[in-house]
Amino acid sequence: MREKNVMLLHYLSGVGILIFGGIHLFTVFFTRPLGETVWETTLLFEGHQFAILEVYRNMLLASSLWFLLLFTTFHGLNGLRVILIELFPNRAVRSATRYVLLFLGFALMVYGTRTIVIAHMIR
Amino acid sequence: MRATRAQSRSYSTVLKTMLLPAGYSVERWSYTLQRVTGVVVTLYFVLHVVETGNFIGGPGVWYVPSKDFAASYYEQVKELLHNPIFDAGLVIIGWMVAFHTINGLRLTLAHFGITLGKPTRVDPESPPRSFSNYQRAIFWASIALATFAAVYSVDALFGVLSG
Amino acid sequence: MKTVRFSVYRFDPSSDKKERYATYEVPYKTGMTVLDGLLYIKERLDHTLAIRYSCRMGICGSCGMTVNGLPRLACYTQVKEVGWSLKVEPLRNHPHVRDLVTNFDEFFKKHKSVKPWLVRTDSREQESPTSQYLQSDAELEKYIQFSYCISCGLCYSACPVVSSLPEFPGPQALALLYRYLADSRDQSRSERLKIVDEAVGIWRCHFAGSCSQVCPKGVDPALAIQLLRREMMRG
Ligand code: FES
Repeated sequence: MREKNVMLLHYLSGVGILIFGGIHLFTVFFTRPLGETVWETTLLFEGHQFAILEVYRNMLLASSLWFLLLFTTFHGLNGLRVILIELFPNRAVRSATRYVLLFLGFALMVYGTRTIVIAHMIR
Repeated sequence: MRATRAQSRSYSTVLKTMLLPAGYSVERWSYTLQRVTGVVVTLYFVLHVVETGNFIGGPGVWYVPSKDFAASYYEQVKELLHNPIFDAGLVIIGWMVAFHTINGLRLTLAHFGITLGKPTRVDPESPPRSFSNYQRAIFWASIALATFAAVYSVDALFGVLSG
Repeated sequence: MKTVRFSVYRFDPSSDKKERYATYEVPYKTGMTVLDGLLYIKERLDHTLAIRYSCRMGICGSCGMTVNGLPRLACYTQVKEVGWSLKVEPLRNHPHVRDLVTNFDEFFKKHKSVKPWLVRTDSREQESPTSQYLQSDAELEKYIQFSYCISCGLCYSACPVVSSLPEFPGPQALALLYRYLADSRDQSRSERLKIVDEAVGIWRCHFAGSCSQVCPKGVDPALAIQLLRREMMRG
């Protein structure tokens, strides 16, 4: 892909993270009564109306989490690629980093998707 | 010819240039902070995906586990993670995420000339047009918001504000 | 009499084994610039000091050096504005030659690579223009600021990206590319946009703004690069 398009995706995924990350933060943090820790509320496995599992059971919220996963994986790993290009101005290292990061991104997507799907199905 | 400090590209100079821009403007500090927070948040993101994966039973689970199994595994992982050191780390992550988000927005705008001044005839007395007040205001807003986020996460993790 | 302490970077690759800082006391005169001080040293205290300068009035751009940590033009910097104890070093990011002198070959090569001249599609017109190309005030103001560049290399020396990625064109070349791109008399927009659209090209600018901070002529390369990026996204 041309560098121009990669960087365009970098900016767009950043905006995407702003939207879906906002939803994520809202469901995890802002539904919590002030003064109680998230450990007692959101992160309870069961027994509280805002428990995190509820978020995964909701189809819309679960898919918004998946988009957050996609955008953050791309944005984060592309950011690392940019920094590595600048730190190691060597063509061999540059192409090696590309494959390492592609593999890492693929692994993150597979593992994260599994978490979202399974958490969605736990009854 | 022998390599001197001024000549060679040593990693100590490269990292010092990247991480300690003493004497330069806030734009340069924004560059450094954006970089550091970006790397740390990415590392956190990787750990977060791993850790949420553990919450439903770890890498061994590729089908829907029984609810009791998931619940007991969940409690186990929670026990490992719920301690003051990790919680304090999360407060710092909170600061970094908020900063990187708002400053990233500022950079996205600035990278396309938005919020910057327009080119004019040169006026040596006034500061560069790219150091515009809009763009700097968003930088300071990102610092303020990040600090607010850190305070909020202290409450979310330690429950001190009204508890 | 008030004196200024100059701590000057000394290294001659043909004879010295190690770099060192030599200290000189120079009597202060009102209005003294860093270059005046260095010339006093060269005339009265130490003839072996190598410096490069020419116009002594901020026009030629040959006297760039690092003074107290920031790249500055020695002839354009008053001693009074930096302090009574000065640390003078060669410019960073440029290959070192001797003492305070650096090599600009790489820098000028990058400058040349962005084709810093007006291009007309009609090659006959390019070689022997038949008329003047008129411009409105608004058209002029789009680029006039960036044409004040004197190629002193200070922005190149301040840029954090150049220091880590030597292939990066640098603020000066990119700003000059935009200067010709934005000029209404130029006709090679699509070719110009291709020049720096690569992994080590314009996309590696992160708007650290150091180039604009150190520019002695108010050129504001950072602004030019961001505007260039907008043009490149537009295609
Ligand atoms: S001597 Fe010409 S710019 Fe300083």
